[in-house]
Amino acid sequence: MAEVSQDGGGKKGGKKRSKKASTKIDMTPMVDLGFLLITFFMLTTTLAKPVVMQLNMPDKTEKDDKSEVKMSETLTVMPDAEKVYYYQGLPTEASTQLQKTNYSKDGIRTVLFDYKRRIGDNFTIVIKATKGAKYKNMVDLLDECAITSNKRYAILEIDPDSEKLIKKSGL
Amino acid sequence: MPKVKAKRQSVSLDMTAMCDVAFLLLTFFMLTAKFKPEEAVTIVPPSSISEKTISGEKGILTISVSPEGGIFLGTDDKAAKDYMLERMANRLSVPVSAEMKKNYDASEIVGYPAGAMRQVLSVKPSDAKAKGYLKGIPCDSANNELFLWVSYAKISNPGLKVAIKGDANSNYKVFNQVVGTLQEQNINTFQLVTSPEGRPQ
Repeated sequence: MAEVSQDGGGKKGGKKRSKKASTKIDMTPMVDLGFLLITFFMLTTTLAKPVVMQLNMPDKTEKDDKSEVKMSETLTVMPDAEKVYYYQGLPTEASTQLQKTNYSKDGIRTVLFDYKRRIGDNFTIVIKATKGAKYKNMVDLLDECAITSNKRYAILEIDPDSEKLIKKSGL
Repeated sequence: MPKVKAKRQSVSLDMTAMCDVAFLLLTFFMLTAKFKPEEAVTIVPPSSISEKTISGEKGILTISVSPEGGIFLGTDDKAAKDYMLERMANRLSVPVSAEMKKNYDASEIVGYPAGAMRQVLSVKPSDAKAKGYLKGIPCDSANNELFLWVSYAKISNPGLKVAIKGDANSNYKVFNQVVGTLQEQNINTFQLVTSPEGRPQ
């Protein structure tokens, strides 16, 4: 280093030695910061990808590819903002009874499990959202179908008969 | 007898290699990270137990539904986005200036009636949002502009996958309209964007 040594030196003609500064720096804080940023970027990149639910609707242009479903083996589920109505069979028959439940795990989920066990493999769920239903309610019901592992379900628009049934029952 | 002294070991170790690796990884993640684009509308998707992540190698067309029922459209395919503007402006015979094109490119989404296109694109995207120009794309039987936008995007890139991102509290009716519009174009597979939740036992 370009320093003049102050101590005059004891020996004459002795070589002046420059002091050796250590080349090592403490890198701990730098490494800390590096890993902190890595963690941040790793978490943000993986979390940014949203999850999706696949929904397949029937092809409207295809006419011949239709699967037959017996009405007695279907459960029509009608989600409303706070509650779920359901009935088995046709809405126009006098024996059809409308019932009401909620979105909790003891509500519609138990109902779906129950009907699936009773009806068997051909059990089909028909979802007809009421006019007051929120998008969330529909997704909740699709989710319940997935939880109860029902692959056979259809989304239809609500028909006047079903609406009449709700009105008549007064639930 | 002299005491046996334990050899003292240095506590500082050479961190250069570790530092190198750390910064290499840091650079990699920084370069690959894509930041979430600023959304014109805040959408809280409903939760589901689904664990699939969004897929669409050839591009994704995202249709968002705001809590008020406004419909917004966005895509990550730049070419399809440009084509959509070109065809839509052509249809309405609105001349697109360089300024308007720039504002269109800067905004992530399309969300206004086509009649208001000139007005919306003449201001910056952030201003358009602040002034409340983004009212959503009309999608009813009388004036179905969503149909046009989607069909133009599909012409430009037939491999586009459709994702629907609806707010949990949006009305089901709007979702039904969107699905109906898409089914008219023979798009029957949708990906509903949801937030993850645990699977019940």
